[in-house]
Amino acid sequence: MTEQEIQEKGYANPDALVSTQWVAEHLGDTENVRIVESDEDVLLYDIGHVPNSVKVDWVEDLNDPLMRDYLDPEHFANLMAELGISPDTTVIFYGDRNNWWATYALWVFGLFGHDNVKVMDGGRIKWEAEGREMTQEVPSFARADYPVPERDDSRIRAFKEDVDRHLEARGQMVDVRSPGEYRGELLHMPDYPQEGALRGGHIPGAANVPWARAVREDGTFKSADELKEIYEGEVGLSQGEDVIAYCRIGERSSHTWFVLKYLLGYEGVRNYDGSWTEWGNLVRAPIER
Amino acid sequence: MEAEKERTDRNRKSGAALLVEHARRPRHKNDWGVPEDADVAIPGGSPECGGSVVIYLKGDADGNVEWLSWTGQGDTISMGATSIVVERILSEGLSMQEVLEMDYEGFVDSLGREIIGSRTRHATLGLSTIKAAVRQYQRAGRSGGRAAV
Repeated sequence: MTEQEIQEKGYANPDALVSTQWVAEHLGDTENVRIVESDEDVLLYDIGHVPNSVKVDWVEDLNDPLMRDYLDPEHFANLMAELGISPDTTVIFYGDRNNWWATYALWVFGLFGHDNVKVMDGGRIKWEAEGREMTQEVPSFARADYPVPERDDSRIRAFKEDVDRHLEARGQMVDVRSPGEYRGELLHMPDYPQEGALRGGHIPGAANVPWARAVREDGTFKSADELKEIYEGEVGLSQGEDVIAYCRIGERSSHTWFVLKYLLGYEGVRNYDGSWTEWGNLVRAPIER
Repeated sequence: MEAEKERTDRNRKSGAALLVEHARRPRHKNDWGVPEDADVAIPGGSPECGGSVVIYLKGDADGNVEWLSWTGQGDTISMGATSIVVERILSEGLSMQEVLEMDYEGFVDSLGREIIGSRTRHATLGLSTIKAAVRQYQRAGRSGGRAAV
């Protein structure tokens, strides 16, 4: 796949994606480009990664270790400096599971206004399938200068109060969990009730589109027409509306957030990262099954 | 300081290598199908988050583990750790009571705390599901009746 083929998929913001070929041609441009691997399977980077890429672990690097929240601006600035990323650096994300965690990391970067970000279409699976170079060598970059940014959650993140208002206004919502979770048949994993919810179901009015429907078998994103058929044709979302996406803790829904915001051009889409682990435990929160 | 960092890096590498090796060449994983004579077949985890396994357990006349096998899919930590814990239980001939007494924190330490980090749920997916299988077996009164969930 080339940039031309990405252009031909008809996205609102085709520049949000780069091809594996583009990445292969920019491996040495470490001055301007930083390639970031972010995976669910945290040991994949150790097994082998794209040359000159660095790892961002969403659990260890992007979360506040105590409070349920993301890292604060000081820690974000320090993380960027350590990875040799300056505010002007173009950050290319890729990862396993159809770029699920790559888009999650990208979304967190967005909270700090680092918008010069792109996703490698097809992610790790496509890079490997094409037999491209992998290495176990961990690169080391000079510490960058990254001023402490302001964090603005309001643009792309929804809190419970936002969902309340959205619900009252009958706003559009998309639940990107599996159908079993959406129908309330799965509450939590055996032996881990603390990671589940006391009630099953979904937020009233939310449509169900499992997140992975946005990708093809080779890991690349479906074309704009195919995506519109799913999100607009099947469940009636519309580009001009405010939309809230959610899942269990906000990671799967960051993938759908990326699809709606960048590929389909939805300006008013936000990710509710409190998601079902918050809503399904809230006293008197309305639920549909 | 430098020596400490080198030691940590070395431990991390060897611990990661063990998990990767088990994930790639899992022990006692039955890809050939469900064992019909299992007393208990019990699922655990979530394919959407870290991984999922099914543990198959057969008890012997004395209430000990006659055999244990598993199937599943997931990330390197969850699959590697499941393979490691199943192999450990069988090679050490642990009784069901000893399995129930296995300490989650101790198991994570043995895998390498610096590798697992806060992904302890992935690392203990196999062990917790094995314990659930043992409890299921004991609840069924060691009757030998299959107690699939």
